[in-house]
Amino acid sequence: MAILCEDEELLEGFLAETSELLEKLDDDLVALEKAPEEIELLNGIFRSIHTVKGASSFLGFDLLVKITHKTEDVLNRLRKDELKVTPEIMDVVLEAVDHIKLLVNDIRNGEIVERELDEIINKLIPYISDAFRESAVLHMESAGTSEREKEVPASPVQTELETEAAAPAQERPRIEAAPAPSPQPPKPNSSKTVARGEELSDNTTVRIDVKRLDDLMNQVGEIVLERNRILQMNQDYLARENTANFGEEFSKLAKRIDFVTSELQMQVLKIRMIPVEKVFKKFPRIVRNLSRDLGKEVDLEINGEETELDRSVVDEIGDPLIHLIRNALDHGVEDPEERVAAGKPRTGKVVLSATHEGNNIIISIKDDGKGIDPEKLARKALDKGLVTEDQIAGMSGKEILDLIFLPGFSTKEKATDVSGRGVGMDVVKTNIRKLNGIIEIRSEVGKGSEFILKLPLTLAIIQSLLVDVENEVYSIPLAAVLETLKVDTSSFHVVGGQEVLKLRDSVLPLLRLQKLFGVQGSETSLNQSYVVIIGVAEKRMGLIVSRLLGQQEVAIKSLGKYLADAPGIAGSTILGDGRVALIVDPAGIIEMEESGVTGAWAA
Amino acid sequence: MATAVNFKSEESQAELIQLVSFNLDREEYGVYVLKVREIIRMSNVTRVPNTPYYVEGVINLRGKVIPIISLRKKFSLSEKENDKQTRIIVMDVDGELMGFIVDSVSEVIRVSAGEIQPPPSVVNGGVDQEYLSGVINRADRLLVLLDLERVFSQSERESLINSSL
Repeated sequence: MAILCEDEELLEGFLAETSELLEKLDDDLVALEKAPEEIELLNGIFRSIHTVKGASSFLGFDLLVKITHKTEDVLNRLRKDELKVTPEIMDVVLEAVDHIKLLVNDIRNGEIVERELDEIINKLIPYISDAFRESAVLHMESAGTSEREKEVPASPVQTELETEAAAPAQERPRIEAAPAPSPQPPKPNSSKTVARGEELSDNTTVRIDVKRLDDLMNQVGEIVLERNRILQMNQDYLARENTANFGEEFSKLAKRIDFVTSELQMQVLKIRMIPVEKVFKKFPRIVRNLSRDLGKEVDLEINGEETELDRSVVDEIGDPLIHLIRNALDHGVEDPEERVAAGKPRTGKVVLSATHEGNNIIISIKDDGKGIDPEKLARKALDKGLVTEDQIAGMSGKEILDLIFLPGFSTKEKATDVSGRGVGMDVVKTNIRKLNGIIEIRSEVGKGSEFILKLPLTLAIIQSLLVDVENEVYSIPLAAVLETLKVDTSSFHVVGGQEVLKLRDSVLPLLRLQKLFGVQGSETSLNQSYVVIIGVAEKRMGLIVSRLLGQQEVAIKSLGKYLADAPGIAGSTILGDGRVALIVDPAGIIEMEESGVTGAWAA
Repeated sequence: MATAVNFKSEESQAELIQLVSFNLDREEYGVYVLKVREIIRMSNVTRVPNTPYYVEGVINLRGKVIPIISLRKKFSLSEKENDKQTRIIVMDVDGELMGFIVDSVSEVIRVSAGEIQPPPSVVNGGVDQEYLSGVINRADRLLVLLDLERVFSQSERESLINSSL
C-alpha cells in the first residue's frame, strides 16, 4: 500500500523526528536497565514513545499507533511503579522498538507493508494490567476491523494524552531531542532512502548549526570580494592602467585567495562532520544483548563520542567496530567464573574511545580480558597451514599478532554464531584499508587487548605527498606515509628475490613504483634513492620513487566506474597546472604485493 | 544492438536520425548525436598504469576526470601521431562521460532510419563485429554506425581491469 500523504513536508518532518527519537531510545533503554531508579530517564523514554505514537496517529499510520500504544502502556506501568524493570521486560520493549523502527523504515521507503505484529503485542500484553489484558485480547481478535476506535478506550489514562498529543507532537521532540536549536535544511525530494535492516540512520539530511552556516556565508562573501578584485585587476591590465605594481598586487591577491579558500574548505568540511556518537550509540545495546547471549558480564565504557569526523568515514566504520566489539566480548572477556578464578572482578570491561590526533581520528577498543596468546596464535596459524614453521620463527611478537588478520583465521576453539567464523578480522582489515586507515594491536596475556584504529578525518580532501616517478607525478595519501628517507642504494638487500630495506630494527619490503606502474624511462642507477615508507592497517612497506615534490592538499576525483578498479590507484586529482595526477592506493599496493602480483610485474 | 534497433522499428522508418561522423584510418564512422556531449581538441592525457592497451589515460575536463580511449588501438588499427585534426569525442556511455580519440571529426549528418542497413556479416578492417550497429550506404560514401556503448559492454568493463592483471 503506497502512502497517501498530501503534505510531503509533514511526512518528512515526521520521519526525521521519529528516526532521531528512536535512535536515542536504544541507548536510553539499555541505560535504564542498568539504573532502573532513574525516573527522569524513564520519563524521557516514555515521552519519546508517546511522541511517536501521537505523530503517527495524526498521520494515520495505524500499525505504528498500535504497537507504540502497547509499548507506551508497559512503560507507563513502569513509570507508575506498578512494574519493576527486569531484563525480561527490557527484552520485550527493545524488541517492540525494533518493530517500530521497521515500520518507520517502511514509511520511509514509501510502502506500508502489512506486518505481523500480533506476536510482539502478545509479548507486551502480560506486562500490561490484568484488566487491560482482556480488552487487549479482545482487541486482537477483532483486529482488522476498526483498530483505532477500539484502542482508544482501552486505556483511559492515555485517552486524554492522546487527543492532546496529535497536534503538539510536532513541536515537542524539538525540545526533547534536539540539543542545539538547529534548522533543518530542505530535504531532497525523494525520501526513498534504502535503509538497511533495522538501521534507521537517515543519511540524506543533515542538521547544521546555524553558526556554522553563518560562518560559511561570511567566507563566501570574502571570496566574492576577492573575485571582484581579480576582475578589476584584469580590466586594469587590459586597459594598461596601474601596471606599475601589478606583480605586487597580484601576489597579494594570490595569498588572500589561498587563505580564504582554505578557510572555506575547512568550513565545508566541518559541515560534513558528524560526531562519532552516531556509530557509538548502537553499541550499548549490542554489548548488552551479546553479553547476555554469551553468559558474560560486561560493562561498556564509551569515551569521546563527541569526536567529529566526516560522514563518509562514519558510514564505513560501523561494521569493523561491531566486529571488534564482538571479538572483545567473545574472545577477550572471560566467563565470570574464569575471571574470579584469575583474581579479576566478575564484570569485564570494554572501553571504546575516540580522540583526534592531527588529521586523524584514533578509535580504540580495549578489553580487560585474557589477551591474545602469541604462541597459541602461531600454532593455530600453523595448523591451518596459513604460515610455515620458518615464517613463524622469523616473526616478531607484533607480527605474530598480525596473523589474526589473515583470511580464514579464527582462534576460538568452537565457532559461535557471534564470532569465530574466521571472517571477522579479515573484514575489519579490508574495511580499514578501504579508508586508508592503520590498525594496531596491543595485547598482554592475562591483562587484555587493545585494537587501535587510526583513520583519516575525511575522504574528500586529503593531505598528500607528491612524488615524481620518471617524470610522471603521483600523489601518495599522507595518512599512509610514515616517513620518507633518502638512502644509499647500498643499503638495499635482496631476500628471496624481493628487494628489502633494513631500517632500524625492522626489514621492509621495497617496491619500485616505476616498475609497478610500468613507467617508461631509464632505470636510474644512482647511489641514492628516495624511499617513501607507507603503512596500511598492520602492514608496512617502502616505495622507491625518483624524487619527492612536496606536500599538497588535494581534492580526490574519482576515475569513473570504468577505471575505478585500476590496481594500485585510488583516484586522481587535478594539479595547479590543470594536469591530472593519479593518487596511489597504499592499501591496494600492499595487497598486490601480498598476492605476489607485483613480483610478476617487477620481473 | 539495442540502441540501434530501437529507432529502426516499423513506424519510425522515415524518422530522421542525426549522426556525428568521424574518420578513423581510411573509414568513416558515425555515432548517434544525442550520445555525444562535446568534441574537444587533444589535451594533456595522464597515463593510468596497468589498464588495457587501448586506455590512453585520463584528462581533466573542466574539473572532471574522464577516461580516454584510443579507438585506433581498440580496433587494432595502425597507430598514428596526434595532429591538428585529432579530436576527442566525449560521449555519455552508460551514464558516465568517456572520451574517444579519433583522427578527425567531419560533420553532423541526417539519415532516415530506413537508410540504416544491418551490418554485413563479415567485416574487414579490424573493427569487431559486435560494436557495429549498422551501415549507411549512400552514393558517394559508406558510413559505419558504431555503438560505442557496446564497446564497453559489461563483460568488457570487467575485463578492462582484469585483462591487465
